[in-house]
Amino acid sequence: MRIAADIFTIVAILTGAFFFLAGTVGLLRFPDTLTRLHALTKADNLGLGLVVLGLLPQSSSVFGGLKMILVWLLVLLASATVSQLIARAARRGGPHP
Amino acid sequence: MRPVPDKGKEPVSHSRVPTILERGLLFFLVWLVLMPSVKLADLVVGVIAAVLATWTSLRLLPPEAGYLRFGALLAFVPHFMWQSVLAGVDVARRAFDPRLPLRPGFVVCRVGFPPGPARNEFAVITSLLPGSVPAGDVEGAIIYHALDTRQPVAEQLAEEEKRLTAALIGGDGHD
Amino acid sequence: MTSFLLAMTFFVVVMVAVGLFCVLRGASNADRMMAVQLFGTGGIAALLLAGVANGTEGVVEVVLTLSVLAAFAAVAFVKADESGAKDDDRPEQGP
Repeated sequence: MRIAADIFTIVAILTGAFFFLAGTVGLLRFPDTLTRLHALTKADNLGLGLVVLGLLPQSSSVFGGLKMILVWLLVLLASATVSQLIARAARRGGPHP
Repeated sequence: MRPVPDKGKEPVSHSRVPTILERGLLFFLVWLVLMPSVKLADLVVGVIAAVLATWTSLRLLPPEAGYLRFGALLAFVPHFMWQSVLAGVDVARRAFDPRLPLRPGFVVCRVGFPPGPARNEFAVITSLLPGSVPAGDVEGAIIYHALDTRQPVAEQLAEEEKRLTAALIGGDGHD
Repeated sequence: MTSFLLAMTFFVVVMVAVGLFCVLRGASNADRMMAVQLFGTGGIAALLLAGVANGTEGVVEVVLTLSVLAAFAAVAFVKADESGAKDDDRPEQGP
């Protein structure tokens, strides 16, 4: 049982790390601010979600796990809101000097 | 996953009281997750915090401004989780592709939602979809920035709008 | 498991550092907000990993505060940018 939980953790966190890598590669390669915003929000949110999912079996209490899920939901909500605010700012302003 | 009052407690009329109770209960449940203790003093502080949070939320977003059906929205959670997985995979695929297949551009998408909470909520939810981020609005439409304008972005968004109309406007479609 | 989690913490921190470097190369205010956003998401992931690796679950409380703060900081930054854009003045007080 312990081993199954550990394997689950390792697989989920490795997948999450892969999406953090993808987000950073996107930031490096995508040509402008708005496309980089896509790379940042979509890939990193998924990365964080998978990291949280992977950490759940390692949490010592149910409430520790619930709190981590709450963190993830907060981040998801915040980034969904903030990403459109950033997109609006980028569309309106263009690059400042 | 997120603590939400059950569907039986959902407001059936546009009266304020059910909304207030629903919000208060939601805030108190969040408190219980943050502070899992059944000591009387902790619970009393929790109730005070929930009352203050509800009062603040009523000031910032009065129930009259429009109303969202949390129960109906909850039914869409699996769908949007999956969309957000697809969005991450889509970005990863493009980022690692040596040819960098992007054709960024703006797509104007007509939406039926009036400006207000329903439209904002729609924008927030659709920002999770693969390849599109809301980047502004104009009269009767939201401007999206798309990673690849060759994809049927507008069609996909229209599809989501159809899906969400009942939940956001509070018609009697879903539930 | 502990060393795996610590290795992953290190990996995520490196990813965030590289990401921050290239976001901050772009000089617009939107780029700076993205840096805050990246630091929020990646920092939270790294803190959670490190917290569980060390068995210090109290880190979750810190992370909760951080996640709420990052959101407010970004919204405040956008608001400042909006009001600054009106009189063509760039706000310098970021979060």
